[in-house]
Amino acid sequence: MVNSKSFLKEVWKGRWGYLFITPGYLAFIVFMLAPLVLAISLSFTNATINLSARVNVGFDQYVRLFNDPIFIKALGNTVKYVLVVVPTTVIIALLIAFLIHPLGMKPQSFFRGAFYLPGVAGGVIISIVWLWIFNPTYGLFNYLLGLVGIEPILWLADSRFSFWAVCLVVLTFTLGQPIILFLAGLAGISQDIIDAAVVDGANSRQLKWHVILPLLRPVLLFIVATQTIGVFQIWETIFMLTQGGPSNSSNSLVFLIYQTAFIAGKYGKASAIGVILLIIVMCITLIQLRFWSRE
Amino acid sequence: MINIHQPVHHDRYSRIRKQFSILLSIMVLLSLASIFIVPLYWMVTGSFKYQKVTMDVPPEFFPANPTLENWQNLFFGPWPIWNWLVNSIIVSLLTVVIVLLISSLTGYSFGKKKFPGSEILFFILLSTMFLPSQVMLIPLFLLVRTFQLTNSMVGVYLAMALPMLASPFGIFLVKQYCSTIPDELIDAARIDGASEWKIYYQIMLPLLKPALAALAIFTFSNSWNNFMWQLVIAGDKLQYTLPVGVSYIARTPAYGRSVIDIGLTMAGGTFGAIFMIVFFIAFQKYFIEGVTFGAVKG
Repeated sequence: MVNSKSFLKEVWKGRWGYLFITPGYLAFIVFMLAPLVLAISLSFTNATINLSARVNVGFDQYVRLFNDPIFIKALGNTVKYVLVVVPTTVIIALLIAFLIHPLGMKPQSFFRGAFYLPGVAGGVIISIVWLWIFNPTYGLFNYLLGLVGIEPILWLADSRFSFWAVCLVVLTFTLGQPIILFLAGLAGISQDIIDAAVVDGANSRQLKWHVILPLLRPVLLFIVATQTIGVFQIWETIFMLTQGGPSNSSNSLVFLIYQTAFIAGKYGKASAIGVILLIIVMCITLIQLRFWSRE
Repeated sequence: MINIHQPVHHDRYSRIRKQFSILLSIMVLLSLASIFIVPLYWMVTGSFKYQKVTMDVPPEFFPANPTLENWQNLFFGPWPIWNWLVNSIIVSLLTVVIVLLISSLTGYSFGKKKFPGSEILFFILLSTMFLPSQVMLIPLFLLVRTFQLTNSMVGVYLAMALPMLASPFGIFLVKQYCSTIPDELIDAARIDGASEWKIYYQIMLPLLKPALAALAIFTFSNSWNNFMWQLVIAGDKLQYTLPVGVSYIARTPAYGRSVIDIGLTMAGGTFGAIFMIVFFIAFQKYFIEGVTFGAVKG
C-alpha cells in the first residue's frame, strides 16, 4: 500500500518528464513501432493492391519464400555484397586514414572533404554518371581498360559483371564516412603511447600493427557494424544501374522488396522479405553489442 | 645495450625522411582522391558537351567546344525542374524542423529528468535505431494511400517527411549531449522560479545548439537523399523531388529522341548535386560531427 503510494508520488514528480517525451514518443510509436508491427502481421498474409481481400497464409509465406529461387538469389547476392564491399571499404579507408593522419590541419581537411564529396552528392547522382562511364561502346571505363588491352565488357548487361559493377560504384561513395571515423579515432590516440612504443624500439610497421590498430578496435568495430548494416540495404545503385538484372545477378533484398511491393504490389510477400532482412540486421546488431560490451 | 647518442645522431636524417614520406603520402592521396573526383568531374564537364561529343571514342577529357545547350534544355525544357528543387527544399526543411523540435524535447527529458520507466522507454527507442527502414515503408505507404495524402501538395510534403519523424538517433544524440551539461545550471534556474518550459527553451536549447546543428545537417542530408520513399510517394511529375526528377531524366529519352540525352542527364546530375555539395562545404564541421558522433564517444 505504502509502496504503490510512493510509486504514484514518483510518477507525479516526473510528470514534466512524461510530458516532454510525449511528442517524440508518439511519433516513434506511430511512425516506427506501429508500422513495424503492421509489417510483421502483413507478412503472414497474401495482401496485394486490393488490401481488403487479403487472406492469412501463416508461415506458408516464409516456406514459399525459401523455395523461391529469386529470393534465394537476392539473399545470396546481399550477403556477397557485404562480404565484398565491407572488408574492401574498411581496408582502403584505414590505409587512406593512415596516409592522411600525419599531414597538417589544412591538407587533412582537404582530403577528408575530397573523399567524402561523392557521398554528399548521393548514390543516385553518382550512379547516373557511372551509367555513362560503364557504357560499353563510348564509356570512359572500357576506353581506359582498352588502353591496357582489355576487350570491351558489357558491365551492366552481362550477368558475370553486373554484380561487380554495382560493388565498384557503391565503394566510390561509401568510403568517406569510415575515413572520417578512422581519422577521429587516430586523433584520439595519445602521443605518449606512441612515444613510449618508439622508445621501446618499435618500428613503424610494429607501431601500426601492435599499438595503433588495437587502440582503434572500438572504432573499427563500429565501422564494420554500420557498414554491414548499410550494405545490407543497398538498392539505389541497383535501381539506377541494373534494375537487379540481368536475370537477378545483381538483385539485393531491398531492391527485391521495392520490386515486390511497389512494382508488383505484393505487399504481403514484400513484408515477409522485409521481416527476414530485419531479423538478419538485428542479429548483426546483437553480435556487435556483444563485442562492444566485452571492451 | 642502449645507445644514448643514437637519437641525436638520428635526428637530422629522420627529419628529412619524415618530410619525404609526407610528400609521398600527398602524392598517393592526390592520385587516390582523383579516382573519387573523376566521376564528378566527368559529370560537370559532360554537362557542357554536345550530345554527339558525349559519345566520342576516344572520349574528350576536356570540352574543347563547350555548349550551354544542355543547361538550356534542362531549365527551359519539358521538366518542372524548379518545382523539384522547391519540393526537395520544403520536404527537407519540414523534416528538420519537426525532428529538431521532437528530439530536443524528448532527448532533454531522457537526459535530465528522472521519472519511473524512463530507462525501459529509452531502451525500446534505442533498440530500433539500426532497424532497416524499408520494412516500415510498406505499412506507411498503405497509410498514405488510405488517407489519400498525395491529393494535395501539402499532403505530399507531409507524407514525404513521415518515415523520418520517428528519430531514435536524434533523441539519442541529444540525450548523450545533455550529459555534458551540468545539472547545477538547471537547478539554479529552478530555484530562481523559472518554469519547466522556460528551462527548456531559454537554458537547454541554447546549450544544445552544437548537437542540434549537427543533427540538423544530418537530418537534412538524409531527408534530401531519402530516394525510395520519395519515389514511391510521388504521383505525377510535379510532385517529384530533385533526386527523383533527375533519376527520371536519366532513364527517359526526351525531345523525340530514341536514346537518352547524356549531356542533359549530366546537367541534371550537376544541378542535383550542387546544392548538397555547397551545403557540405559551408557546414563541413557539423557534417563531420554528425558522422563521428556515437563512434568515438559511444
